Amino acid sequence: MSVIQNRPSQREVQSPPPKRRGVTVRGKSLPYLFLVPSVVVLATMMGYPLVRMVLLAFQNMNNYRKFVNPSLVSYVGFQTFSSILSDPLFWQVIRRTLVWTALNVALSMLIAMAIAALLGRISPWARVTLITVLLFVWSMPTIVTGTVFRWLFDNAYGVIDYILYLVGFKGMLHHDWFADPNQGLYVVVTSVVVWGALPFLVLALHAGMTQVPTELKEAARVDGASPLQVYRNVTLPILRPLLMITTALSFIWDFQVFNQIWTMRNGAPEQGYWTIGVYLFEQAFDRNRYSDGAVISVAMIVVMMLVLVFYIRQMLRIGDQK
Amino acid sequence: MSAYRRAPRRAMTAFWNTVAMLVAIVLGFPIYWMLLTTVKSNKDLIAQHPTFWPSHWDFSSFSSAMDDNFGANLWNTVVITLGSVAISLVVGLLAALAVARFDFRGRKPFIVAILVVQTVPLITILVGLLPVLNSANLIGSLVGLILAYLVFTIPFIIWTLRTYIVGIPVELDEAAMVDGCTKAQAFRRVVLPLLAPGLVSTGVFAWIQAWNEFVMARQIMGPAQNKTAMVWLTFFSSTPSHGSDYSGQMAGALIIAAPVIILFTIFQSRLSTGLTAGAVKG
Repeated sequence: MSVIQNRPSQREVQSPPPKRRGVTVRGKSLPYLFLVPSVVVLATMMGYPLVRMVLLAFQNMNNYRKFVNPSLVSYVGFQTFSSILSDPLFWQVIRRTLVWTALNVALSMLIAMAIAALLGRISPWARVTLITVLLFVWSMPTIVTGTVFRWLFDNAYGVIDYILYLVGFKGMLHHDWFADPNQGLYVVVTSVVVWGALPFLVLALHAGMTQVPTELKEAARVDGASPLQVYRNVTLPILRPLLMITTALSFIWDFQVFNQIWTMRNGAPEQGYWTIGVYLFEQAFDRNRYSDGAVISVAMIVVMMLVLVFYIRQMLRIGDQK
Repeated sequence: MSAYRRAPRRAMTAFWNTVAMLVAIVLGFPIYWMLLTTVKSNKDLIAQHPTFWPSHWDFSSFSSAMDDNFGANLWNTVVITLGSVAISLVVGLLAALAVARFDFRGRKPFIVAILVVQTVPLITILVGLLPVLNSANLIGSLVGLILAYLVFTIPFIIWTLRTYIVGIPVELDEAAMVDGCTKAQAFRRVVLPLLAPGLVSTGVFAWIQAWNEFVMARQIMGPAQNKTAMVWLTFFSSTPSHGSDYSGQMAGALIIAAPVIILFTIFQSRLSTGLTAGAVKG
């Protein structure tokens, strides 16, 4: 009874002052109208292709069947899935991708935090210099970066070998960094990816660190905390949300690295260099096994989402405990 | 505490400054080497001991980079990136206005969806997009790639513009409307001018992403004449005649990266604040 009575009066109170959102309150259909173009574009250029991709995953489509013998194309259920999932190469690629991504994320986060902390304790001129360098690094397109680093690590005239030779590693002159895919991927490509990832991470973390209230740090110091303890017990907890976001972003970026590997191996990465993006490209576009490519795409999205969900839940749990 | 206070702070700062300069040198070195390589003569390049300064300046690398396709490919990139950014700015602005200034059913899911689609790897979309573009006869055409790029430029623009619009106080457009403006006028005279810097920098960063994109460009665009600048560089670097022409490669890389480097360094301060602001608001 009272509820029924209350309703109209509430409505009266709410409706007269249009205190809500400026320019455009009334006209219930207007916001939907505004969304139409983007929804249409994203549905046709992304939603529908993703559906097509999933459908492809349940077919047996490849170049030959598509162009030479279309009658052989059919829906084969999970057959393509099982043939990919039973291929040791697939699991090898997945493992390599996860290990390599973890290495890249960990390295870039650690180095970025060190450099961000460094930025906080140097003179202004040094800070400006370092930030300027970081900006130029950040601005480099990945295709260009890969091309430049392939030249740096060139085994005949590359400068890295020469520098190592100069500082005393005489045997490193004309060292071929790419001969062993493990060295090529885990050392050389990692160095490119970390190098390219640092600027964003450093500047974001540095901005976060400057927002840590100095009173808190002072207080901790007065209470006898060492700089390291201040960092661990004051700065880090405040930075945690930012650390979580930057780690998640790093994972998303590093997990799907393609351009750097592609350019460093000059458009033909050997199997030892296949992370999931490269593997997908090779199967789907180089060998034109479209359905295989679709299955790998599904796997790529699933693995990425799994890791992200796991990671976010893990972070939330830690957050709950504190 | 007193020990900490008495620590020779100035010496420590000098020490950390030195460390910072070493870091700057290491990080900046690849770029320096790229620039240096473009002005080195071939004799310098294949010297037994690479030099860290050219023995004489030689700019022939730039002419060797400009092969038959270079100009056409660079022009393609210009057209494609400007086209996709122009479309996505209009489309994205509308959607950003909707989510920032309206309350409507489905607003939250839309925002979440825009965030999630940005994590889907482009290469996986490409697997299904190629047959779609193929049946629309858009493979090998600039239009096809412009449309494909909307897949990442639109979500990015909606996401970033949204934070800019939210930052414009609603009271301002209300005041304009109290003073007799219509909704459209309030938008045009109050919101739009305030949003202009946001539009420009968002557009610039969408443009940079499109300029740098590689996989879609490689698979959607056709033969040599039709490529984009980034695809051109990878082909240039793997041809027999230029495969070891590193000065040509570096010159080409520098030319196609220059617009990005220049615009990026001008606009970056807005990006880093926008990126983290958007990220924190989640």
